[in-house]
Amino acid sequence: MLPYVRLELRRLTRTPGLLIFTAVMPLLSYLLFTNITTITGQDKASAATYTMISMAGYGAIGALLNYAGGLVTDRSIGWLRQLRLTPLAPVKVVLGKGLAAMATALFPVLLLCVAAVVVNGVHLRAGQWLTIVPLLWLGSLPFALLGLAVGYLATSQTVQPVTFLLYLGLSIAGGLWLPLDILPGWLASAGRLLPTHAYADMSWEVAFGGTPGLRDVVTLAVWLVVFGALAVVGFRRSVRRVAVL
Amino acid sequence: MDAVELNQLSYAYGSVLAVQDVSLSIAAGEVVAVLGPNGAGKSTTLLMLLGLLPPRTGSVRLLGGTPQAAVAAGRLGAMPQVGGLLPRASVGDLLTFLHDVYPHPMPVAEALDLADLTGLAGRTVERLSGGQAQRLRFAMAVIGRPDLLVLDEPTAALDVSSRRAFWSSMRSYVAQGRTVLFSTHYLEEADDNADRIVVLDRGRVIADGTADEIKRRVDVRTVSIRGTDHDLSVLPGVIDVAQRPGRTILTTDDADATVLALAGTGLLRDLEVTGADLEEAFLTLTRQEV
Repeated sequence: MLPYVRLELRRLTRTPGLLIFTAVMPLLSYLLFTNITTITGQDKASAATYTMISMAGYGAIGALLNYAGGLVTDRSIGWLRQLRLTPLAPVKVVLGKGLAAMATALFPVLLLCVAAVVVNGVHLRAGQWLTIVPLLWLGSLPFALLGLAVGYLATSQTVQPVTFLLYLGLSIAGGLWLPLDILPGWLASAGRLLPTHAYADMSWEVAFGGTPGLRDVVTLAVWLVVFGALAVVGFRRSVRRVAVL
Repeated sequence: MDAVELNQLSYAYGSVLAVQDVSLSIAAGEVVAVLGPNGAGKSTTLLMLLGLLPPRTGSVRLLGGTPQAAVAAGRLGAMPQVGGLLPRASVGDLLTFLHDVYPHPMPVAEALDLADLTGLAGRTVERLSGGQAQRLRFAMAVIGRPDLLVLDEPTAALDVSSRRAFWSSMRSYVAQGRTVLFSTHYLEEADDNADRIVVLDRGRVIADGTADEIKRRVDVRTVSIRGTDHDLSVLPGVIDVAQRPGRTILTTDDADATVLALAGTGLLRDLEVTGADLEEAFLTLTRQEV
């Protein structure tokens, strides 16, 4: 499995543009949202902290969906079939891909946190940073699985619209773009059940002095299982169909 | 123990039988070509051999076990016909990765040297020429020092000089006494590079022997003269007679004898003798079988 992670990471370093692209949009949105008073309202400091977490999560999820979606290409060009003729077990390939994807999610998280401190003067205690960064990074695991599921189940024609809809839909309805409190009531209640909300809410709690709520942890765990199951279904189907010409 | 044992393999795509009752044994150290025109069932046979396609009937044993066991033990190296190169990876990335995956690999530098890719380790796959990409696929297939190497039409997309460079890499590998099975639709390639040739046509094995034995059977020529109604199928060597506007075309396996006899009949006008292309040769060969 480690050789595969190394291979994927080497590819990433060859095209850093891909990684930067997925982090630049959240960064620009962050700088824009937090420096327009009509959006932040009176409490600029809270908005800067709150939005740092939203956009870090938004960036991490984007990186994961994008990266794992590359699996569609791996399949269509026959790379996965080629791997089937090496001693590397298919399950190690998918785990390696997932681990490499997780590495890509760290970048937007760190970038947004640094921007928050440097540009917006966000101030948190060391203990809060040491909780929030791992939460934002490792808490994005369900989205890595979602990305792998899409990568296995979509085709090269459908992968982009599917990824785009999932990314935007889950982000907006989960409250990453605008706080759920200002969305219509029914949408806000539905949004609280989404993995995006549970994921970001754990860090929001920590940033504003609390601890991650049990409800969020359970919600995210349930989605982890759901997306994991989807990825397994896709993976099995891909293994069965690998020889179809 | 044979390196490859195919026992009455059959496969159908829908109702089209792609492979019918193919049986084949390859001893360790043999270099065997599977020769056949497009659509003969070569790729399907190789996919079943590699364990990527479950045969409808029949069985496959590689190196004494299942294809999956041979793959898992790193004893099989395979080069697919197309694709298989991960975008944005470099030559060195891919070879290092495979080096780390096989139990008894050769050093990356040795694989580069064998495939004549030295100096290209840092190049990404997008920037390789067709010939270089194919030699990379070859390096990827041999870096694990497999006991059995399987190549599906390794030179199908290459120009003449790339093809020559490819086979020159291949020969240095074969010289180490490896078992190799490759498919091709070039008679010449099979002749130059294999100890033994298995001819597939329409999913069946129609000939199996040394290059000389096979060539003798498919060494047919086309003798064409001004059109005539005489029955020429009785002339020596003639396998087939066809009429085209103004021309009578004879397919023969002994052009000298046919032309001599034609001269004797007084019908020799506007003579043209050409080597039949391989497709034609195979058609002739199959007709003989029927």
